[in-house]
Amino acid sequence: MGAFIASRWADIAFRMYQHASLVAQSVLLAAVIAVALAVVVTSVPRLEPIANAISTIGLTIPSFALLGLFIPLFGIGTTTSVAVVTFYAALPILRNAVVGLLGVDRALLESARGMGMKPLAIFLRVQLPLAWPVILTGLRVSTQMSMGVAAIAAYVLGPGLGSYIFTGLAQIGGRNALNYAVVGTVGVVVVALIADAVLALIGRLTISKGIRA
Amino acid sequence: MSLDRNERQLFWGIPVIVVAGALGWVLWRATADLDDIESRQLAWGTIGTLLGQHVVLTLICAAVVLVIGVPLGIALTRPGIRRVTPAVLAVANAGQSAPVIGLIVLLAMAMGFGTPTAVVALSIYAFLPVLANTITGLQGVDPALVEAGRGMGISSMGVLLRIELPLASKVILAGIRTALVLLVGTASFATFINAGGLGALIQTGIALFRFRILISGAVIVALLALLVEWLGQVMEMIVAPKGL
Amino acid sequence: MSTDSTANARGSEIVFTDVVKQYPGQTEPAVDHLSLGIDAGEFVTFVGPSGCGKTTSLKMINRLIEPTSGTITIDGQDTRELDADTLRRRIGYVIQGGGLFPHMTVAGNIAVVPNLLKWDKKRIRRRTDELLELVGLDPAVYRDRYPRELSGGQQQRVGVARGLAADPPVMLMDEPFGAVDPITRSRLQDELLDVQSKLHKTIVCVTHDIDEAIKLGDRICVMADHGRIAQYDTASEILANPADDFVADFTGSGSALKQLALEKVSSIRLEPAVLVHVGDPVPDVLELARRHDTDQVIVLDADEAIVDWYWTINLRGPVVRARPGRQPILLDEDSSLDTVLDALVTSLHEGAIIVDDHEHFLGIATFDEVTAHVRRVNAAPGAIGDFDAGRTHQAPAPDAPAHGQERP
Repeated sequence: MGAFIASRWADIAFRMYQHASLVAQSVLLAAVIAVALAVVVTSVPRLEPIANAISTIGLTIPSFALLGLFIPLFGIGTTTSVAVVTFYAALPILRNAVVGLLGVDRALLESARGMGMKPLAIFLRVQLPLAWPVILTGLRVSTQMSMGVAAIAAYVLGPGLGSYIFTGLAQIGGRNALNYAVVGTVGVVVVALIADAVLALIGRLTISKGIRA
Repeated sequence: MSLDRNERQLFWGIPVIVVAGALGWVLWRATADLDDIESRQLAWGTIGTLLGQHVVLTLICAAVVLVIGVPLGIALTRPGIRRVTPAVLAVANAGQSAPVIGLIVLLAMAMGFGTPTAVVALSIYAFLPVLANTITGLQGVDPALVEAGRGMGISSMGVLLRIELPLASKVILAGIRTALVLLVGTASFATFINAGGLGALIQTGIALFRFRILISGAVIVALLALLVEWLGQVMEMIVAPKGL
Repeated sequence: MSTDSTANARGSEIVFTDVVKQYPGQTEPAVDHLSLGIDAGEFVTFVGPSGCGKTTSLKMINRLIEPTSGTITIDGQDTRELDADTLRRRIGYVIQGGGLFPHMTVAGNIAVVPNLLKWDKKRIRRRTDELLELVGLDPAVYRDRYPRELSGGQQQRVGVARGLAADPPVMLMDEPFGAVDPITRSRLQDELLDVQSKLHKTIVCVTHDIDEAIKLGDRICVMADHGRIAQYDTASEILANPADDFVADFTGSGSALKQLALEKVSSIRLEPAVLVHVGDPVPDVLELARRHDTDQVIVLDADEAIVDWYWTINLRGPVVRARPGRQPILLDEDSSLDTVLDALVTSLHEGAIIVDDHEHFLGIATFDEVTAHVRRVNAAPGAIGDFDAGRTHQAPAPDAPAHGQERP
């Protein structure tokens, strides 16, 4: 095992980076889409049940099934990986962003309006900061989930550590099968833990002391 | 359990989607012009077998998770043992970030291919939501009610069965529903270690680059997952105490 | 109070003319042809049952709610001629509980409008500290705290400070003290009146609590339904001469007691007394009292503090002594009559000693005088009669003689 890691260190590090990068980019894209959707949904009350239905039904669909559905659309490779990871990543963020934005006391928003703040300022300076802890929790859930989804997406030749797991599977009985599977699996856990720590740190830095739990 | 308007829309929406999707697929399958490979893979009998394997695998794992997860969750909220609960949850949470496919492959190396390996791997993976929700649900019960029960002379087992579990049932059932949906999804990886299930269609579809097989597998798994989600909701409505 | 250049903006006049608010989908208007004038520097309270349109009327002033028809002018300018945000930055807005932004510090909350107005940092800082002092919070202690680190009353004070931040001529308050306990509420009301006596803003305050409306308002606008004005007048006028049954019902059967809250001690006759010191010979004291035609004796200690209060017939022994545990009640000359009554009832003393700011004796307020005053002012029967019947038999010693207003 030690020799395996030592001989492939550069490749392992690169795949960890790829894995992290795939998840980070997908989650970021998902966050932008989800928060934008949440803003629309929370300003038109009739749309809220639709958003809830989308996240409930979306989270129900198995990742392997979605991967299958996306291949005809995006082909084999990175695009499909990004699409699948982004799809799942968006759902917890959407759900939390809706809850977070709706959770902001109406009286505070009216208070802001009563003080003469413009709608964009109210959103950026009052609503978003107050909803942020809940949205960030959604981001953390999303990121953890995306780590596993990204591993599965490697089945269609996506980037990252998942390919080590599938190599291990393909080579079962072979000399390095176990090494591949262990490095792939543990590598994902390590990347996930680091990502979660980074998000926790971002939380410390960006959540106002006045509303920190 | 009473549903608000949103939940009601969703509650009737899901079976409508499932029934419409299933009818649509059956209709397509009955009329589509398939080549040899496709007709063999998508034969009614084959689909039935795979679906049966998928459901059985899911149910076995659900039973295992239920039988281990709920009692363990109860144990971890009893006085004395409670101290180790945060540590257990931390480990379980960290374990959850391991990709399920990695877990399946590693266990296959240790235990060989086949259904038993799949059961162990999937059960480990679906264990956390049941455990965590059991603990959360029991911790959420107002201690004053437990005290009131004890004060009336009900035994600690009686308090657990007649007060704590009923009050926590909504949260525990939600955990079980989450686990069931997870299991339906992850059972599609069982095909990688020859444990059967609908994942075979997706795998074959990708391998042979036959979109019809691929999409058929994906659609059936997705519909099954939605159906299980809905059955979970129905179960919550029936089992949960009315007053909550 | 202020050194800030923009400070001391006095109040503006607000005029509602035929204002209607009709919500879509509702058959009746929420506010139906409301016309109302509020003078510059006046404190007006809108009071009425829930759903009477008082809050809608308030929010139409800063256009949080847009009137369907009619005009509202501030110092003669139609509010619709201004950009809504510009208008709102000139009007302080205080809501129940303070409505503080929990993610901003106290200073950050107060600075919201000054920031919108692009004041420079130094000026904002100076203004923030000044306002915190005005509402009785030490800036050094509270400036950097977050709302959740404050009590309900403190949050509400910061809310008021925030409303005053840009020194607006007009302040709107929506149930400002609805979320605090009665004792804190009463203190906050006193402080608000104190602030207003310095600033002379035009304040419009919505409340469902008639007692609060009476205490705070120079004038009170009692609203029935759809913003219909049942009566718009001073507190004493509303209590003494309710315009109709609705107002009478709303002010309630305790209105005689409420009226006491409006009257100061200075409006009743105070009993005189002679002032003596501990250790003075009793015969000298009796002679002094006889000369001043009074049988009441106030005893001071060596530091000139009031320590006891005697009827002359109770003076025994060679010299005057202060009886332990007999510290009399001292009340400020600005006290309202309900405070006096409250002190008398709860203490079982026969009277309360009224003192000035320097604790110098002014006279004694007796139970009889308070009730007699009510009787004089309200010749009208009804609530006052009930009040009389319920209380006079508890009145103090009938031997308390009638005396002139002379002070020793």
